[in-house]
Amino acid sequence: MPSSCEVEVRRLPGTVVLVMRGEIDASASQPLQVAYAGTLGPDMATRVVLDFTEVDYMNSTGIALIVGVLAQARAEHRTVAASGLSEHYRQIFEITRLSDFIQIFADVDDAIAITT
Amino acid sequence: MTSNRAEETPQLLAEFTVSSEPGNERVALREVAAAAADCGLTLDQMERLKTAVAEATMNAIEHGNENRAEIPVDITVMRTLDAVAVTITDRGGDRADHVEREIPDLELKLRGEQRPRGWGLFLLQSMVDGMEVSTHGALHTVRLTMRTGGDDGNEGEQHAEQL
Repeated sequence: MPSSCEVEVRRLPGTVVLVMRGEIDASASQPLQVAYAGTLGPDMATRVVLDFTEVDYMNSTGIALIVGVLAQARAEHRTVAASGLSEHYRQIFEITRLSDFIQIFADVDDAIAITT
Repeated sequence: MTSNRAEETPQLLAEFTVSSEPGNERVALREVAAAAADCGLTLDQMERLKTAVAEATMNAIEHGNENRAEIPVDITVMRTLDAVAVTITDRGGDRADHVEREIPDLELKLRGEQRPRGWGLFLLQSMVDGMEVSTHGALHTVRLTMRTGGDDGNEGEQHAEQL
């Protein structure tokens, strides 16, 4: 069964939003890495918002990918926020303690409003 | 007594197999959700059961059957008096993947002192009320249980409508 993940990059002053769509599993590794790499550069935003609104499935491999993004962002002194998580995935962020390191917002507009 | 024993006999709700191909865990979780839709699980319980089934099926496909598509993963869904039970069986025989994995620690992972992966078993165990592992020859079975009879019985109906 093929898996699918798309990541759209939205650039705002000081903030970059990675809008993820589809399934965050092993197949999301490349699109997520490519999208993240595209946010690097001299005018690099200091905050990264991961938008999960259109994510309909995430497994433990996907959690590991998010950990990887968080680790890279922290190494670059960038903060990470998340938006659009379902209640279930919010629980998983709490269980894994990702919510200790990633600020969670109900939707992407809230995340952008606070991070800009 | 005889009557009670009869009531406690598990009711088989579904029995199916998936081939050992990455991604088939999503087939498993959909089938399990459909089979358990009328068991009175709350929405939260159903989401947790689906995640646990997906993780256990991924383990069966990757670690048990080593992604060999021709080897099936067998899945059953049963209803007991007070729980939904799901078994996931692969042909990988006895192995240590359910007892020896490191406990994931996010701070260690962020410092690069632990690999980013390794969340599967932790997630699986966190999601359900019970997990048992058994091996009979090549057959390796994980049995997941989720107790029914949550506080909000209406949520089960809501889930059924969403399927």
